[in-house]
Amino acid sequence: MEVITRDRPAFANVQVKMQPGDRIVAEADAMASMSTSIVMKTRWNGGFFGALLRRIFGGETLFVNEFQATAESELVITQPFPGDIECLDLNGTSMFLQPGAYLASEPGVKMGVSWAGFASWIGGEGLFRLKVSGTGKVWFGAYGGIFVKEIDGPFVVDTGHLVAYEPTVGMKVGMAGGIFSSFFSKEGLVSRVTGPGRIYLQSRSIDGLAQWTNRHLWR
Amino acid sequence: MQYEILAKPASSVVKVQLNAGDHLTCEVGAMVAMSTRMTVETTTQKKGSSGGGIMKGLKRLFAGESLFINHFTAREDGQYIILGPTMMGDVIHHRLDNATLIVQGGSWLASDPDITIDASWQGLGKAFFSGEGAFWVKCSGTGDMFMNSFGAIYAVEVDGDYIVDTGHIVAFEDTLNFKVQKAGASWMSSILGGEGLVCRFEGKGIVYCQSHNPSSFGSALGPSLKPRQS
Amino acid sequence: MSFTITQRPDFALVTVQLQSGQTYHSEPGAMATMSPNIELKASLKGGLMSSLSRGLGGESLIISSYTAQGGEGEITFAAGQPGDAVHYALDGSTDIYLQRGAYLANSEGVEISSKWQGMRGFFSGEGLILLKASGNGDLFFNSYGAIIELDVEDEVFVDTGFIVAFESTLNYNVTTLPGARPGTNWKSLFLGGEGLVCRFSGRGKVWIQTRQIATYLNWVHPYRPVQKNNG
Repeated sequence: MEVITRDRPAFANVQVKMQPGDRIVAEADAMASMSTSIVMKTRWNGGFFGALLRRIFGGETLFVNEFQATAESELVITQPFPGDIECLDLNGTSMFLQPGAYLASEPGVKMGVSWAGFASWIGGEGLFRLKVSGTGKVWFGAYGGIFVKEIDGPFVVDTGHLVAYEPTVGMKVGMAGGIFSSFFSKEGLVSRVTGPGRIYLQSRSIDGLAQWTNRHLWR
Repeated sequence: MQYEILAKPASSVVKVQLNAGDHLTCEVGAMVAMSTRMTVETTTQKKGSSGGGIMKGLKRLFAGESLFINHFTAREDGQYIILGPTMMGDVIHHRLDNATLIVQGGSWLASDPDITIDASWQGLGKAFFSGEGAFWVKCSGTGDMFMNSFGAIYAVEVDGDYIVDTGHIVAFEDTLNFKVQKAGASWMSSILGGEGLVCRFEGKGIVYCQSHNPSSFGSALGPSLKPRQS
Repeated sequence: MSFTITQRPDFALVTVQLQSGQTYHSEPGAMATMSPNIELKASLKGGLMSSLSRGLGGESLIISSYTAQGGEGEITFAAGQPGDAVHYALDGSTDIYLQRGAYLANSEGVEISSKWQGMRGFFSGEGLILLKASGNGDLFFNSYGAIIELDVEDEVFVDTGFIVAFESTLNYNVTTLPGARPGTNWKSLFLGGEGLVCRFSGRGKVWIQTRQIATYLNWVHPYRPVQKNNG
């Protein structure tokens, strides 16, 4: 299987060139186009209860699609919003993904929902997070460009900009400034993440886009 | 035609160089900026043709395009025009050589005045289920044309058959046929898997696909927006 | 002070390195990340009148200020909309006019005020007042879509919806396209969709954006929730 992420960062999409027998799993509605020699099967996203948990708390789809090539084939997978896609090669390691970030994975990758804590929730990042582990490649996407930071101590991230982080990274919630400044600067609550570890950030947020759009809508 | 596509693939615009007497036919509202020795003329029809214009204009309207089209003419040498589509996305060039390209409504941006721009009825079933409009824009003749998309555009040279999800088609050569069918092996799987219906192209020719589906993005963003009155 | 602009032109991200004690200002909500030693303050910068004039220019009355405390700090700015960002070093000789919504951030020494456009602005339908940036220092402005820099040496037409910023050395007036003037071909004016354009002449730079907000708002309309009647 040969995988190329094209049109980065604005309209990243994943082109998968498959040999007979190759398999890849993707979230529902991720397929843009494919050869007719690919068989698509739909299944629960990790068993009924697992899927339900991931749907409710992980922001993921209830079902995933498994694509299997029966001959030399091509598959193009994409995400709903414009933005970048990053690939991780898991080798017994794990990573936390923010709700909605998961796009696709190789069959050896396991997905689970894990408790992110109240700090994460108050900071607008969700009460739960998706944990990917196992062996193989996993693709996740962002709205906007993705930039990576290796942090050692504390670091301030505005709500909605965190995409993924290593399990060694801790999260606390805080105000961006004093009470007055946090409110009037529109920054409100921010996440104070603490290293050591790697964090993946997106250069835009859906909330930011919605606020910008709403400012221009006069009725 | 001398042209340059800038800011690919998400904020693409096309800059076209025109010399005295050169024409370009464009989608209404596409002009971003241009040099000043140019003239614009708005009609419902192909430049220089007479009769039947209004009907073609109306059909274009059904195809998701405007009733009117603009013709730009350079009055001196060394003029240019920058054209941009309405949506975030790509612009591509396609050369027609006595051929026909069927373009999704809203994706036609500009073309050589010799190319005929008409609407093409794709059939009721396809209209309902392809995720596209009932009418498509039919571009035929010889010359250069520009199209736009939501997302990056990739070309697939079909020889046999190929599946494109609904909402991802930009244009295809009329040497191809397509039909709407279920995505998975069963209806249950197609619906639960979120893919629902897909378009299956058959024959030999090029299909241009867009990497992203505008209605998926609209549905993801919509709930966060200010409610509308109607 | 040093800066980088990455992820141009679609999701531009401005990263600024602040020396200890240095301050940067931005439109509210523009901060994406920052070092923990940066202090954020929101204020009506330049006093009430200056803030009101910024408000008339389509910007927020409030300005966010960021100061690095007890050491260097890093801050990143990102707009809400997908688009580009451009840096301009003001040296006191040329001012910059900014279209509504184009202001992103500035260093100390830059003054942001508004400029009444009179009837010219009125006809453009793009906001009555432009913002004016003057002084000495770094200015960042942003767009919806990519920014293209046009070097005007003669003259150019720009559709009013696509103007981001321009240098004060240019003359400008709002007009209609040739052929679209009333009396010659009224259809092009009213039906041609190009509406009114701005003619820039003289010498200077104009920054244009490759998309316009109005058409995006039309596109997004059907996806908005429908208001529920409480009556």
